[in-house]
Amino acid sequence: MDVRNNRRTTTGSSVVTANRLLDGRIVWLTDQGTWSGDIAHAEVWPNDRVESVIAETARDQQEQGVVGVYGVQLDDRAAGICPLTVRERIRAFGPTVHPQFAPGAPQEDNAHV
Amino acid sequence: MSETPVTVPAPAVGRYAYDQVDRTFLHERVEQFRDQVARRISGELSEDQFKPLRLMNGLYLQLHAYMLRVAIPYGMLGASQMRELAHIARTYDRDYGHFTTRQNIQFNWIRLEDTPDILGRLAGVDMHAIQTSGNCIRNVTCDEFAGAAADEVLDPRIHAEILRQWSTLHPEFSFLPRKFKIAITGSPHDRVAARFHDIGLIARPGDNGRAVFDVYVGGGLGRTPVIGVLLRDSLPEEDLLAWLEAIVRVYNAHGRRDNMYKARIKILVQALGIERFREEVDAEFAQMDRARYRLEPAIVDAIRARFAVPDLHAPADAATRMNDARTRVPAFDRWVRTNTHPHRVAGFISAVISLKPDEGIPGDVTADQMDAIADISERYSFGEIRITHMQNVVLGHVRQDQLHALWQELLAVGLATPNIGLIGDIIACPGLDYCSLANARSIPIAQKLSARFADAGLQERIGALRINISGCINACGHHHAGHIGILGVDKRGEEYFQLTLGGSGENDAAIGQILGPALPEDETVDAIAALIDAYLVHRRDDERFVDTYRRLGAAVFKDAVYATA
Repeated sequence: MDVRNNRRTTTGSSVVTANRLLDGRIVWLTDQGTWSGDIAHAEVWPNDRVESVIAETARDQQEQGVVGVYGVQLDDRAAGICPLTVRERIRAFGPTVHPQFAPGAPQEDNAHV
Repeated sequence: MSETPVTVPAPAVGRYAYDQVDRTFLHERVEQFRDQVARRISGELSEDQFKPLRLMNGLYLQLHAYMLRVAIPYGMLGASQMRELAHIARTYDRDYGHFTTRQNIQFNWIRLEDTPDILGRLAGVDMHAIQTSGNCIRNVTCDEFAGAAADEVLDPRIHAEILRQWSTLHPEFSFLPRKFKIAITGSPHDRVAARFHDIGLIARPGDNGRAVFDVYVGGGLGRTPVIGVLLRDSLPEEDLLAWLEAIVRVYNAHGRRDNMYKARIKILVQALGIERFREEVDAEFAQMDRARYRLEPAIVDAIRARFAVPDLHAPADAATRMNDARTRVPAFDRWVRTNTHPHRVAGFISAVISLKPDEGIPGDVTADQMDAIADISERYSFGEIRITHMQNVVLGHVRQDQLHALWQELLAVGLATPNIGLIGDIIACPGLDYCSLANARSIPIAQKLSARFADAGLQERIGALRINISGCINACGHHHAGHIGILGVDKRGEEYFQLTLGGSGENDAAIGQILGPALPEDETVDAIAALIDAYLVHRRDDERFVDTYRRLGAAVFKDAVYATA
């Protein structure tokens, strides 16, 4: 995993993300300890705690059916859960050039794993 | 792939016919990968262990899903192969595929567990994804008008196939310091960006009638763009494999493995200097078993025999009938002006199908369009299809009297955009919408530009112009080689775009020069429009954009973009 995507400030908050092993789709760690295809269901962690959550989650990624666990800094000024960088916004909300493939769109499979 | 065919395969026009040995190998490879995928899913293989295995089979984990890159050797496809790609797009992906600047195709929404079945289907039509990734010799690229162009002096596909067989699963070259790209052309007009490849080969007939090659080495784009230098001129055909083997051996031995950004052969050639590099290659070549590597005419002829020769007979009035249609139908006339290329045989012409519709995604084709291209190729061009490194499609051998009918069929499926070589014919990598390496989105810039300059008359007035867009410094969109290059950069998590001017990948190879500070996304298209306006004001006669830039320098264009900023 590219480290540049796992950078965050000391303050602020983050969510934890990964790709599903079987189909590579992007998922977000929920407060139930499950993975959702919808970032709105992600649990938000203060940045001073998220490293330990990432480490703990990454240890069990095979059992959880995911790969490449890392943290995504949020834009704390945004309404709702929204990543700070354009890259992570595209991961969260889908390719801008194919809105029909956005998470939650009819073609998209948001099943929990 | 094999030297001793078990069965005599039926040749296909434009591409090498596999035999049973080739097919058995491919199916064994699929089953090997099936087992590797099963072990990954069960947890027997970790991601770190599995990653190099999947990459050897063209499977990446990209931004939203797995991406499968399928090899299209030297860009040549048959109609049945195109139909299989359509089936894969429809069944396993989201109804489309993306043709790349290395003449391959990528599927962006592949499931890991489906991959062995997909590779199995590809093997069923003599295709695979081997060496479309990893630090090995990648798909050899070739002139899209090979075997058809009026200006061609030697059909490069035979030697492209020889290089494919030489480099596929080459035991010494599976773990090179970095990836390695070879391009070959048989035309004096470089349409393959030979000077921007690790090895670029320009072939022509020698005095004895056999091929000879000018060998360029150490070219490349990416983080450190370099124009390749001529390492050897008139290399005899019989020494082609030995000489290339010597080059890659020297690279393999001395290329840097401690820093991936300095690992390409271009860095080695620059570090040693071309004379020292040549000495190293000469020394390696001198100690090689030449007899083992000698490319005998019989071998070349045996490979050539695996390619069917199209029956190129056209009616005597073929050109007249095409010209009559051009007179009657202005839109057809415009398309012929931009989207065709002269053929070596009277009465024939090569047609270019633009995959750059207005506001479209460069290189994207739907499954239905793939099927349509397959059908059309069978009706008009011997079932032979070529993918270009400009992300378009070529039908190589079209009878001129049938060109109007072909155009009408393309029109019906939205594939008759008349913009080849013009401002709408934009090269764009997948960018940040899909690629995990990208810093910025390439496709939306291409879409906005094609919308801004959608008018076909305006495009013709602007004339020959190459705009290339890359979403990061890896330069898959060849931005350094564009007359106007656009490079996406990341500034504190937001997209900016750096403009370069004056690049070219052709005989006048040049690296585009940075115009000024990177621009925010919402200013980039206006900046390109300002460049075009400045060009139209200052151009002389039939000057291309790049000619005006070379004559005037950057100042005029810099003022146009930044003076009002």
